[in-house]
Amino acid sequence: MKLTRRALIKANAAASAAALAGVNLSVSATNLIASSDETKIKWDKAPCRFCGTGCSVLVGTQDGRVVATQGDPEAPVNKGLNCVKGYFLSKIMYGKDRLTTPLLRMKNGQYDKDGDFAPVSWDQAFDVMADKWKAALKAKGATSVGMFGSGQWTVMEGYAASKLMKAGFRSNNIDPNARHCMASAVGGFMRTFGIDEPMGCYDDFEHADAFVLWGSNMAEMHPILWTRLTDRRLSHPHVRVSVLSTFKHRSFELADNEIVFTPQTDLAIANYIANYIIETDAVNWEFVNKHTHFKRATTDIGYGLRNEHPMQKAAANPNSGKMHPMTFEEYKASVAEYSVEKVSQLSGVSEEKLITLAKLYADPKTKVMSLWTMGMNQHTRGVWMNSLVYNIHLLVGKISQPGNSPFSLTGQPSACGTAREVGTFSHRLPADLVVTKKEHRDIAEKIWKLPEGTIPAKPGFHAVEQHRRLKDGDMNAYWVMCNNNMQAAPNLMEEGLPGYRNPENFIVCSDPYPTVTAQAADLILPTAMWVEKEGAYGNAERRTQAWYQQVKPIEGAKSDLWQLLEFSKRFNIEDVWPEDLLASMPEYRGKTVYDVLYRNQQVDAFPLSEAQELNDDARDQGFYVQKGLFEEYAAFGRGHGHDLAPYDRYHQERGLRWPVVNGKETQWRFAEGSDPYVEKGTGFQFYGKPDNKANIIFAPYEQPPEVPNEEYDLWLCTGRVLEHWHSGTMTRRVPELYRAVPDALCYIHPEDAAKRNLRRGDEVLIESVRGEVRCRVETRGRNRPPEGLVFVPWFDARVLINKVTLDATDPLSKQTDFKKCAVKISKV
Amino acid sequence: MKQVLIALLVTGALYSLPVQSTEVANIENVNNGGVASLRGITELDTTRKADPMKRVEKDRSPIDRDYVYQPPLIPHQTRHYEVSLNANKCLSCHSWKYAGEMGATKISVTHYQSREGQVLSDVSPRRYFCLQCHVTQADAAPLVENEFKRVDSLR
Amino acid sequence: MKLVSNFWRKLCKPSNAAVGVVIGMGFVGGILFWGAFNTGMEATNSEAFCASCHEPIVNEIKETIHYSNRSGVRAICSDCHVPHNWADKIVRKVQASKEVFAFVMGNISTEEKFYARRKHLALREWQRMKENDSQECRNCHDFDFMDFSEQGQRSVKQHSTALASGEKTCVDCHKGIAHQLPDMSDVPGWQ
Repeated sequence: MKLTRRALIKANAAASAAALAGVNLSVSATNLIASSDETKIKWDKAPCRFCGTGCSVLVGTQDGRVVATQGDPEAPVNKGLNCVKGYFLSKIMYGKDRLTTPLLRMKNGQYDKDGDFAPVSWDQAFDVMADKWKAALKAKGATSVGMFGSGQWTVMEGYAASKLMKAGFRSNNIDPNARHCMASAVGGFMRTFGIDEPMGCYDDFEHADAFVLWGSNMAEMHPILWTRLTDRRLSHPHVRVSVLSTFKHRSFELADNEIVFTPQTDLAIANYIANYIIETDAVNWEFVNKHTHFKRATTDIGYGLRNEHPMQKAAANPNSGKMHPMTFEEYKASVAEYSVEKVSQLSGVSEEKLITLAKLYADPKTKVMSLWTMGMNQHTRGVWMNSLVYNIHLLVGKISQPGNSPFSLTGQPSACGTAREVGTFSHRLPADLVVTKKEHRDIAEKIWKLPEGTIPAKPGFHAVEQHRRLKDGDMNAYWVMCNNNMQAAPNLMEEGLPGYRNPENFIVCSDPYPTVTAQAADLILPTAMWVEKEGAYGNAERRTQAWYQQVKPIEGAKSDLWQLLEFSKRFNIEDVWPEDLLASMPEYRGKTVYDVLYRNQQVDAFPLSEAQELNDDARDQGFYVQKGLFEEYAAFGRGHGHDLAPYDRYHQERGLRWPVVNGKETQWRFAEGSDPYVEKGTGFQFYGKPDNKANIIFAPYEQPPEVPNEEYDLWLCTGRVLEHWHSGTMTRRVPELYRAVPDALCYIHPEDAAKRNLRRGDEVLIESVRGEVRCRVETRGRNRPPEGLVFVPWFDARVLINKVTLDATDPLSKQTDFKKCAVKISKV
Repeated sequence: MKQVLIALLVTGALYSLPVQSTEVANIENVNNGGVASLRGITELDTTRKADPMKRVEKDRSPIDRDYVYQPPLIPHQTRHYEVSLNANKCLSCHSWKYAGEMGATKISVTHYQSREGQVLSDVSPRRYFCLQCHVTQADAAPLVENEFKRVDSLR
Repeated sequence: MKLVSNFWRKLCKPSNAAVGVVIGMGFVGGILFWGAFNTGMEATNSEAFCASCHEPIVNEIKETIHYSNRSGVRAICSDCHVPHNWADKIVRKVQASKEVFAFVMGNISTEEKFYARRKHLALREWQRMKENDSQECRNCHDFDFMDFSEQGQRSVKQHSTALASGEKTCVDCHKGIAHQLPDMSDVPGWQ
């Protein structure tokens, strides 16, 4: 009887889920909302436009407009759920101020840096732009042009852009905004494992006995993963959640062990845990002996500031990523310094809490998932910190198994898929290849059918360096696409803004909406977004997801891909390549860059007939351009641990996790039985390294570059909020999301407020040595900083908190530390 | 000096003056070209006056939805309503058990399904943190009008 | 007349004078004692005194409406946790001396211990308030003077029915209004 009833409930549930879904029927329409046939809604899937979780949503369209969205019940990531941002996706394209025509600064009908923006045609826009590029290339060579891209680009857009810059203009000055969010994670992966991206996957959430958040407010920044974590914690009472942060936030609502530590001392806490594991004899020797090496990081490496900065000069080994072998005994002695007493004192965390935390890792029966995002990555020792957490997992062998998972979460929807896998960084090529290695450049040149020596060997300017070079006048033609870096980058007043407004420079900004970046640019290009184009994203668990175009772009707007390809048509190969390169492939003479890069019988290999009826990009090029780009790109990784499925399959699936070998995705990499690249009988193989062993890398606690002093007496930490995506360009144009969190506030401890004679709602001036902003104080909001620290989110263009932040970076990853600088606050 | 400064301001040509310590660096030619962003047309180097702090709307009737799966907005204040490992204040009114008695909107049936779609006897733990989808509304006019259109049947 | 002179004599004798002094001192001492007792009672009612043992919970109130609000009328710990009526107050103070003992013994000496005990402490306090019909709430929030036209719909609905009829008392619904909550599973009205 009982069984029957349960079976019945299950069957009912399945039926109702299917009814909700309406999607199994994929492209064909089910009528979920409308009450009559005339008002049918067409439903199709697309990944969410926002964070790195990679939820799938169902998009309902009618008469060429998005009229509804909902969580996709079939998607393994989110199983029908969305967060509040995701639920309001249907409105992000319909802000009244969508850009519909290119706008150029002009005076008297001519381009003028000090002119007002006026509408121009696409032809005029590209003419002026191409002139500026050609002039820069001629005057100063390939390093004088640059591009700043995005972890929100589709895979194809990032790939086309990277190819255009690195092979077309022969400039490695292309970097994505993912530099601000993921570079330290990449650094950690490469140093410890020799291959990028997490070994585990989201299925770990349903298997772990303990979760440790190392500087991640998942409740707000990865809400759907938080639902999976919450589900596990609340339905399995033995599960424990530890939350580490420099201030209390929403994730603390679920915390069993609340840990608020002094900024930067996470380095010491991680080393203490390693020490505890060794002291309590909890090392998994079989695993450690078989699968790891011990290494020591070079110390005193500076803070990624300008070379002439005194702190940079004072460093003994600026920017050095060298590692030196060490024995276990040496490692043991190095971490022994991090006793519970010492670390408790340094971090301000009680010994009891530290021990409770360490026990989770040391207990062989507890499966631990460590999770982190910007708290650890936006850190002047972010690469070290990533490795320190891997050290802990490797010492106890808790890795690459369901529930045992050090998991670096990405911020953006395709930070993994586009920025990292495609390699749109200034030093990278697809599939973990780098420009500095000849054999890697050879591979790329071969796949791209280009002469040897096309790709320059020297890494280009990374994100923060780009602003410095613009300011210094070294880089003069610059294209910002699919991001709002004037608002997002640190130290706006001293680097970003002077760089954009340097009279020597010509800045192009492609965006659907007028942003502050657009306000500082010289040419604004109106851009199609999300389901106005076909594309693919790759999420934090290596899941690649594709979507079809579902509506026509707003009149006048064009996709990033179209813009890149059309611009490439403006250059003959002779404009950008020197004679010796041309001589080695004379067949390219007289052709355009577009012909050489994108009409190479690979990118244009798939006819228009294979594309959907509604695919403007394919129609404009005359071939199925997204598929061609994807397939050429996929050639880099197939057979090399980065295998992708054939493009068409991604339209049938709710994504697949690479490597996809023999049609099967991989859940846990490096583990025998799960990862097809691991040989039988080995148990684990960290095959990113030549001898299949991962590195346990010791690195010490080192001071942050700027700490509060008598005058600038508070730490400032910046970050995001649940309701707004990044700089708010999309979400603040959705009235419901705007009203949910209308302005960026300065979250401050009530005592700190009282000391400054402030009360909730008072307007304050926040100053650092670099700049100042005004906003209002909040003493009892969702974030509860300890005394001595304030938190201000960066979504608000009306505040622009990055006028205040410091452009110090991790010297290895070049990722900015947006979490720590010194400010003072006074009542206005 | 002051007069010089004023003169420069008046002519609108703020050339880099030697500035002291925390004074914001001067950038010669900041100019938004007449394009407004969410910041409005305030120039980027201006220290913009903060907007007034908005108040959360207090106790109004349920707010209309534009499409079926739009999560209902919270039409009341939620100051100090705890939702944590220990307690969930929202469910004290909106759970099926209490909604009638409290005169509150019942949470949707979808909230009683597990990740696998199985119907549960109580609210699914994955739906526990209400504020991930349901948000309060401040008393504020939108920054930019949104031209989203509802389907006819909901108009 | 003799009686009068006798009395005068006695009064003049040193021993008799002492009696007078004693009476006088008793009177003055009484005043002093009363003053000290009252000062003591008041000192032990101050927020600072409470915080000396209960600092984490005292801090929690800072985010709530009982600490900061529109008109600046605020409650301190004793407004809610110490009866205002004299006899009840003395009883509560005597109970409190037992709690001081528990504190000295270290029953809530760490955050972990405090959180483990929090539910027990909260339940006891809610029970006390339920038994006295939320008297400490009512000292400020007098039902008879509530203007329903100034309250939100949700408040009016509850106050005009359950509260008015005496079926419910304030603390039945208003739990955790000045503090974070303990584990609320199996507390009526919570889920």
